[in-house]
Amino acid sequence: MELAKGGTPAGLIATAAFQPLAVSELQALGMGGLPLLVIDHPLGGEKPEGVLRRAHQAVEELAALLGVAR
Amino acid sequence: MTLRSEVLELPDSPDAVYQAFCERDWCDGLPIIPPTAERVEAMLATVAADPGESLGPMPPLWREATLEKLAVNAVMAGCLPEHFPVVVAAVEAMLDPAFNLYGVQATTHPVAPLLILNGPYARTIGMHGGSGCFGPGFRANATIGRAIRLIMLNVGGGWPGRHDMATHGSPAKFSYAIAENEAQNPWSPLHVELGFAPDQSVVTVFGGEAPHNVNDHVSTSASGILNTVSHTAATLGSNVKWYLSQSQLLVVLGPEHAATVAGDNFGKDDVKAFVFEHARLPLGTLKLGGMWGIQDWPRWMMAVTDDRALLPVVASPAEIYLIVAGGAGKHSAVVPNCTFSRAVSRPLSRLR
Repeated sequence: MELAKGGTPAGLIATAAFQPLAVSELQALGMGGLPLLVIDHPLGGEKPEGVLRRAHQAVEELAALLGVAR
Repeated sequence: MTLRSEVLELPDSPDAVYQAFCERDWCDGLPIIPPTAERVEAMLATVAADPGESLGPMPPLWREATLEKLAVNAVMAGCLPEHFPVVVAAVEAMLDPAFNLYGVQATTHPVAPLLILNGPYARTIGMHGGSGCFGPGFRANATIGRAIRLIMLNVGGGWPGRHDMATHGSPAKFSYAIAENEAQNPWSPLHVELGFAPDQSVVTVFGGEAPHNVNDHVSTSASGILNTVSHTAATLGSNVKWYLSQSQLLVVLGPEHAATVAGDNFGKDDVKAFVFEHARLPLGTLKLGGMWGIQDWPRWMMAVTDDRALLPVVASPAEIYLIVAGGAGKHSAVVPNCTFSRAVSRPLSRLR
């Protein structure tokens, strides 16, 4: 959020189970317009190769949400 | 006294009030005392401050914790007016950044703020630190602890499954408040150890799990009792020990155990040093699961390679809090913290 306030493209990644908390938190802090990428839950317990795959996918999706070229 | 809260017109019936509050997600599931203006004003009359004064924004929804809102919830919880200064001091402590209330509210871990009251005011209001102090039967304990939870729900917005993401929660999330059993404490009480005067009344909030029982019916020495305490405190599944910079452990010695330990001329520092040295797990055990691989340890611990090396659960003996509470019997308790919150103490400075 501090990055976004400073003009750096930034967004939030949350798993689906934490989406309501993330949305409420963004609104409560006046950052409701910040892009929110929701990924499948859970992330914990994923094997390292799975984490890597999902991280790459999330970065691509977040970049698209932010309109940032990759 | 000018109150600012919305006024709700409801039938003059306990059932109707309870139902209306439940429908609005304003209660913890248990019946409440209707927070009428008269009751709220009586609560506010016990503290020296304006009802509109805020102690700060309370996470996770960052709503202002005004004294009036705290008083409304204290009434709902069943507090007597003389309980309210304790509630206020506890909220002041919880809003200290070191306590990390956002983390305590939103985590998946079953943490609740344990409120420990020291000093003469505990005796004034009947805050109980003797037999069954963590359980039911004592109005000050039950209602002050419940008021804290209702404030966390209604002011902070920490609703289970939405903004409080605790996987299971905990019975300690209903109410978790005790006094220290100073009369049977062979050492200095917690608040004096922390630098407060003996005649001050002080609230300490500790972000802890529900108490873990320490059963030792056979030891007749300090080392025997404290070995059992230490063994109970070091388990692979506990949060404590993974983020060492924040990990704290509360040891609650029952008065009989405390007497045995003190009888061997152990001071509080000796107890803490012993538990620090013995509440440990081998590196090889820590590698089996828990948070292995994502731990945040000091450099010296990260460099350990011998699987037989015994590693502590907190960074130093100073991270072990020690109180005496409970009644007759050969039991004590350990309360691990959530490992991302530091205990904070506040005197009852607003007592009118």
